[in-house]
Amino acid sequence: MRLNILIGGKAGQGINKVSQIVSRVLNKIGYYTFNYRDYQSLIRGGHNFNVLSISDKKIGSIESKLDGIIALDDKTIELHKNELKKEGFIIKCGDFCTIGKNVNIAQAGGLIKILGIQKENLIEEIKKEFGDNKEAIAAAEDGYKTKNSKFNLERLKNKIVNKIAIMSGSQGISKGAIDSGINLYLAYPMTPATAVMHELASKQFDNSSGTNLIVFEAENEISVANAGLGASFTGAKVMIGTAGGGFDLMTEALSFQGMAEIPLVVYLASRPGPGTGIPTYSLQDDLDVALRGGHGEFPRIVIAPGDPIECIEKTNEAFYLSEKFNALSIILSDKHLAESEFSTDRKPNKIIDFKITRKVPGEGIVKASSYEHDKFGNTTENSAIAKKNADERLKKYDEIKKDVKKFEMIKIYGNKNAKNLIIGWGSTKTVILDALDAIDGSIENPLKGKYKFLQVLYMKPISDEIKKEIEKASKVILVENNVTGQLGRLIREKTGIAIKNKILKYDGKPFTSDELKEEILKVK
Amino acid sequence: MTTQNKIEIGTKEEITWCPGCPNFLVLAAWKNALAKLIKEGYKQEDFVMCTGIGCHPKIYDYLNISGVYGLHGRVLPVCLGMKLGNPNLKALGFSGDGDAYAEGMEHFIHAARYNADITYFVADNQNFALTTGQPTPTSPQGFKSKAEPAGEYNMPLNPVKLALAAGASFIARINPKDLVHSQEIIEKAIKHKGFAFVESVQDCLIFNMNSKDLVPLMYKVDNKDKKKAQELADEWDYDKKDGKIPIGIIYQEEKPILEEKWPQLKKLRESGKGRKSIK
Repeated sequence: MRLNILIGGKAGQGINKVSQIVSRVLNKIGYYTFNYRDYQSLIRGGHNFNVLSISDKKIGSIESKLDGIIALDDKTIELHKNELKKEGFIIKCGDFCTIGKNVNIAQAGGLIKILGIQKENLIEEIKKEFGDNKEAIAAAEDGYKTKNSKFNLERLKNKIVNKIAIMSGSQGISKGAIDSGINLYLAYPMTPATAVMHELASKQFDNSSGTNLIVFEAENEISVANAGLGASFTGAKVMIGTAGGGFDLMTEALSFQGMAEIPLVVYLASRPGPGTGIPTYSLQDDLDVALRGGHGEFPRIVIAPGDPIECIEKTNEAFYLSEKFNALSIILSDKHLAESEFSTDRKPNKIIDFKITRKVPGEGIVKASSYEHDKFGNTTENSAIAKKNADERLKKYDEIKKDVKKFEMIKIYGNKNAKNLIIGWGSTKTVILDALDAIDGSIENPLKGKYKFLQVLYMKPISDEIKKEIEKASKVILVENNVTGQLGRLIREKTGIAIKNKILKYDGKPFTSDELKEEILKVK
Repeated sequence: MTTQNKIEIGTKEEITWCPGCPNFLVLAAWKNALAKLIKEGYKQEDFVMCTGIGCHPKIYDYLNISGVYGLHGRVLPVCLGMKLGNPNLKALGFSGDGDAYAEGMEHFIHAARYNADITYFVADNQNFALTTGQPTPTSPQGFKSKAEPAGEYNMPLNPVKLALAAGASFIARINPKDLVHSQEIIEKAIKHKGFAFVESVQDCLIFNMNSKDLVPLMYKVDNKDKKKAQELADEWDYDKKDGKIPIGIIYQEEKPILEEKWPQLKKLRESGKGRKSIK
């Protein structure tokens, strides 16, 4: 069972509120939801929409055909009626002209009725959200009674009821940072990284995080990166965050990190570039710059989680590795992962607890330099020392390579013996799983499937297993949300194998699972 | 009987400034000031510096205190980070004029605005010396170099005026040739609670001997009045070679510092501990 509902209107009309209320009601009775947010770079007006996908199975994508449209303005109907299935329904704002500002709540109520869900579930959620606000409750009730049931979404008796939580990638990153004991998050506002800044900022006065966290907005990304290094030098656990353009500004400081060897974690959320690009849309186009940004040769770790729970785990690993090896860790995400809302039911791995054991200022004399330096941290131009230090940086990378083997560097889904191999990373993970599930149930029934999916999580260091998997397969298909297949290029660099079958999408929108399924089946 | 421990504030590194460079005097003033403060009870291990890139920032190698040899222009963000990491440290920043006013200008303005407890020392020899004498924002008009053979066309920037406008809570100027006075101003800058900006007006023996003519114009001030500070800032425009050049404290005020405004930092200050040692 799968339904896709589009909720559209002008920015500021309360689209997200509808998704939020409906998702929570559905999660509570055992259904999984996935909410895709499509919005323009403006604050009021324009045309924004969410697509809320609903299923009795775990999902992480939307489909291209709609079962219903909730239109907070007429433009929404005009723009999306072609995506609506023949038997699809529309809840217009005109249905609730007299309600005033709570039209969106009434429409949420109407949708709950259409889905055939008991009213008390709705009212409970409205009360949780708005307290005893009589107008909101009345609007929800009005919406509910105006519509007729079209579906029959009964409470499911699965074990995951009450265990499903709605989480975005940004919330996952933030949780992972807090689990790691983050003391300082520095950023300059930039979509789509800002959601992490907001999430952590809202937690900084919350004593339960226990880290005395500060979220500091500096004057630009150059300041962010340099201040991050200054704070880490004094013994703070630091993460800095940005998107493509801001990352470009940080790269000089990342190179400084390579020489000074001060631990630093960077969160990079990508969006369609080059230049300012399409700021509020999604593309996996910053893998190259994450792998190589910054002059000179120095070790780094680049990790790309694919869902909110992996965001928690991989952020924790990034912090751990960065501190253990005095290294640069980059966590790579994109707008689709950062801002889509997933219903999650998996518990994250056990938190890796780590302490700062290096000597910090206040405990003695400690020096860290962007110049090549001797063992005291003082400048040197001595060739023998320069070579020795370069060799040590190389050796450090070898040690990182060994250590990361204890983490999940790749994941394989589906039938282990399948000859058809799909390779992808980051936000395409969940849509690939949904597409494969639709093809042959390979995810639910691993033995049945003709396909398997290899998700790459560690981009640097990269797993040796990838080569083996490719060699075992008779058909290999690369799926990426970018123009040139950046992971494909990385795999070719590391393995010498060029993947010829590429399914690439680069219009700023994520894959839909049905379209991806067709694309996969087209590959002969 | 008490035995006095000799404070080792210098290092054994070979000093690579040109012979006779005023930076030697600056180093002496800093060593004296730090040694005196340590004798007064400041802990040597609580000082932490960040230096930029250029001639003057080589001071990093010559001071035996903790620190980061950072990037050109990025001294103040690193100092800010150090204070966000551990507000109990005494953060010291060292830059040249190119570092502070060209590459790092935006940070200078914002550091004054944040008013974190940072001492920022700028050795202003009115040129980029380590890259062989190109003009900086404080080079006087007509300053000739390989980069601008026809001479600098623009009026220099007045950093003291800028610091005042940006809200710096301590602004001073020194002549390093007056070692005792320089040392005294550095001590006061470190003791000042908030962003303390000290500019050293000095020669570059190779590329710019401008300040040689300026020394006779210098006179000492010790001012806390804002209006008077604006007049003092206007007395020398970094271009002319006549009139008067005030040195000493041009402006000082007490106002809340960044470390007091953020409750998280306040907590660390009250505990006297850094991030590493608190739970």
